[in-house]
Amino acid sequence: MKHLGVEPAHAGAGALVRLFHVSKSYLAGTWALRDVSLELGKGEFVFLTGPSGAGKTTLMRMIFADEQPSEGQIIVLGRNVSRLSPSAVPALRRRIGVVFQDFKLLSRRTVEENVGLALDVVGTPARERRARVFAMLKRVGLQHRRYHHPLSLSGGEQQRLAIARALVNDPEVLLADEPTGNLDPDLTLEIMDLIADAAARGTAVFVATHDHGLIERYGRRVVRLEGGELAEDTPIRRPLL
Amino acid sequence: MSPRWLSRPRYFLRTAWSGLRESPVTGGISVVTIALCLLLVGSFALLVANMERILDRFGEEFRVSAYLEDNLTDADLARLRERVAAAPGVERVDLVTKEAALERFRASHIGRAALLDGMEDNPLPASLELVLAPEHRNADALERLAEAVDGFPGIAEFGYGADWVSGYHGAVALVRGVAMAIGAVLVLATLLIVTNTIRLAVYARRDEVSILRLVGGSRTFIAIPYLLEGAAQGLVGGLVGLALLFALFHLALPVFAGSLELLLGYVSPSFLEPRACAGLVAVGAGLGVLGSAAALGQGRLGE
Repeated sequence: MKHLGVEPAHAGAGALVRLFHVSKSYLAGTWALRDVSLELGKGEFVFLTGPSGAGKTTLMRMIFADEQPSEGQIIVLGRNVSRLSPSAVPALRRRIGVVFQDFKLLSRRTVEENVGLALDVVGTPARERRARVFAMLKRVGLQHRRYHHPLSLSGGEQQRLAIARALVNDPEVLLADEPTGNLDPDLTLEIMDLIADAAARGTAVFVATHDHGLIERYGRRVVRLEGGELAEDTPIRRPLL
Repeated sequence: MSPRWLSRPRYFLRTAWSGLRESPVTGGISVVTIALCLLLVGSFALLVANMERILDRFGEEFRVSAYLEDNLTDADLARLRERVAAAPGVERVDLVTKEAALERFRASHIGRAALLDGMEDNPLPASLELVLAPEHRNADALERLAEAVDGFPGIAEFGYGADWVSGYHGAVALVRGVAMAIGAVLVLATLLIVTNTIRLAVYARRDEVSILRLVGGSRTFIAIPYLLEGAAQGLVGGLVGLALLFALFHLALPVFAGSLELLLGYVSPSFLEPRACAGLVAVGAGLGVLGSAAALGQGRLGE
């Protein structure tokens, strides 16, 4: 287990995400991830960084059971992803919010319907759904665009929409792959504050980013991957802003 | 506040409706395919139903005769009639007296009635005519009836056209068998076409399916709107097919009236019964649902 620096803030049985010597290989002899072990506790906010191709996206995909590890074990919200039956995957995913790098929005549905999707899969009553979607859109500043379709939104608006969908269900774990990549500095901070706010309310947050300014500004725990290996795991340097 | 169990059906209906509106071409292809299939199946059902009616009319006219001895008293005859009426498969028993038999002979042999002129007594025997229940108009049932009735005192001879009965029974079975075989082939062919059409629709929306999976949509959650779409397309296809069949039936009837009268005699062709019409539409809806289910199968929804 490589922990360069200090032990994670929330180690042990209380962790919501635990990786034990996880490796992933798509081609024999090459490793997208190699022997990675780490833990993420309730309310913890971790920046996942590293150069392109370091394995950040692969690691996130394994956490929400979109990929299976080639070796090792991944425990997410008490479920062993490696042994999860296909029919149990949706139930796990409903407890995880994911912001994809390419947003993955439904182009034929409105902004409101895209955000509401996360509530539809858990059968949220219509009135509650409407209220929560509106509140979430207001938080990301898209309430006036709720009847528009994603393709009519700017890149930044689409990104905020993806974040709204990931957060509307109050997930226990939030995985965000470059969530501020298309945003201007002001919006970046607004969105990061939203994510930090989710962490403050108990969500375990993983944010993959190349933005060192952001990492510096927030001073949270940083996990750095290089060539698929855990190169650095540094603790919180200062409390959330 | 609407209950939690109600919110999902609302989502499914909303999503299915959106899907139908967003894919009018693939939806239209499914509807047309199902309509044409049901038009063919319906045409065949119509043909079979009318043929069965003709055969049934022939069957109604079919009677078995039990020829009587000459010396029966009225009391003997009444007793015999009761016993024959109680025999298996007998629906009705009619008495044909010697005089009535002679009248029939004369009526059916116009111009040759003089054949009997030289005879002092009426040589034709009285008889009991047995009208059989439809399910007993077959060779086996007739064999059983002959065995039961032939030994009754007072009956001189028991006559029935065994060959005719076998032929009648065989014709009905053949028509039904051919109808079922052709219907099955048509339904299977339609199912394949509908499956492939809906598969195209699923493929066109594969990104949507993949995103639904990523946000935690189960296989059932993703599949239900597609199944509803299939059911709606099948239902519309069924109704269109039925409407086409009805229109064709009434348009074609006057054109072929002369030939049909020659072929069918006094049996005028009639359209399918309401139950059969409902069945046809239900088959359409079933085809749509099955087509969707097949298109979504084989791991196309992931998991």
